Amino acid sequence: MKWRKINNVIHRDLGYLCFGLTILYVISGIAVNHIQDWNPTYSITRSTTAVDLSGVDLQNNNTITLEVLSQLDEQSPLKNIFRVDANTLKIFVKNNNITVYLDRSEVFQEKSIKRPLLFEANFLHLNHAKKLWTWFADLYALALGILAITGLFVLRGKKGITGRGAWLTAAGILIPIFFLWLYT
Amino acid sequence: MKYFFAFLTTCLLTITAAQAEQRTFGAGVTINETIAVSTILDKPEQYVGQQVRIEGIILDVCSKRGCWIYVASDRQGEKIQVKVTDGEIVFPMAIAGRLAAVEGIVEILDISKEQMIAYLQHIAEEKGQPFDPSTVKAERMIRLVGLGAQLLD
Repeated sequence: MKWRKINNVIHRDLGYLCFGLTILYVISGIAVNHIQDWNPTYSITRSTTAVDLSGVDLQNNNTITLEVLSQLDEQSPLKNIFRVDANTLKIFVKNNNITVYLDRSEVFQEKSIKRPLLFEANFLHLNHAKKLWTWFADLYALALGILAITGLFVLRGKKGITGRGAWLTAAGILIPIFFLWLYT
Repeated sequence: MKYFFAFLTTCLLTITAAQAEQRTFGAGVTINETIAVSTILDKPEQYVGQQVRIEGIILDVCSKRGCWIYVASDRQGEKIQVKVTDGEIVFPMAIAGRLAAVEGIVEILDISKEQMIAYLQHIAEEKGQPFDPSTVKAERMIRLVGLGAQLLD
């Protein structure tokens, strides 16, 4: 078998193998690139609401919690409660952290829900998993490198690396160098 | 094609299950003796640079990068920040409200008034809390550089 045929087989099959993770990384990459403007992993809703705590024993955390959860119609499982200070109580329920300001009869809610697909994509792309995934991700990076190199030699002639391919490859190298020059 | 989508679905479900089980973060905890957060806040010089273990309820989690948590002190009204290197440990938001043991190295940061105003203003805006810059002064921030954590409940 000629070397170019072997090259093309490697390029084709690695391309198939890398497709899924590449798409996942594309999604996560764009999402994380704009982390300054939004939260790519969680959808968070913050709100302040008035509650009526008249007649409630403000020394009793359990009573306050029951009353607040009832008024907010919050039915998610309770995780914990914590009295931060005399005027502040924190109530933790699943996907909602509630801060009760007793002196102002106000609650601040921070509801967080994992963004479907993006949470999982970021989990893998940013290597939250660690352990075995680190090695797999290294292999994937290596495969991408091989894909890039074999990609240069798929075609020959005017459209290959000795023709138009050379110019496009040079442009692809020069673009990041330009930005390095511009910003450093 | 249906096998392909079944495979993808299985992968996603596996990832989700793996995340739900996570109770140890980073290097976990290796020290047996727990130092009270109030003790560290009272005498930070005594502990600066030392690796310590603290325990407390996780009050807050960095929602964007999972790169810090606040752990409640044993003394009312106090808390301590545990900062980890971005990406090295990622705390999920779901651990807010959980009891945890956390290990890290005690650090003291001298923060200027301007830096403190910017930091507190950002936190207040995010949490919807009132903020008065005139009450802020330059101060020392005592925190842990987090190395690991373990949920206890």
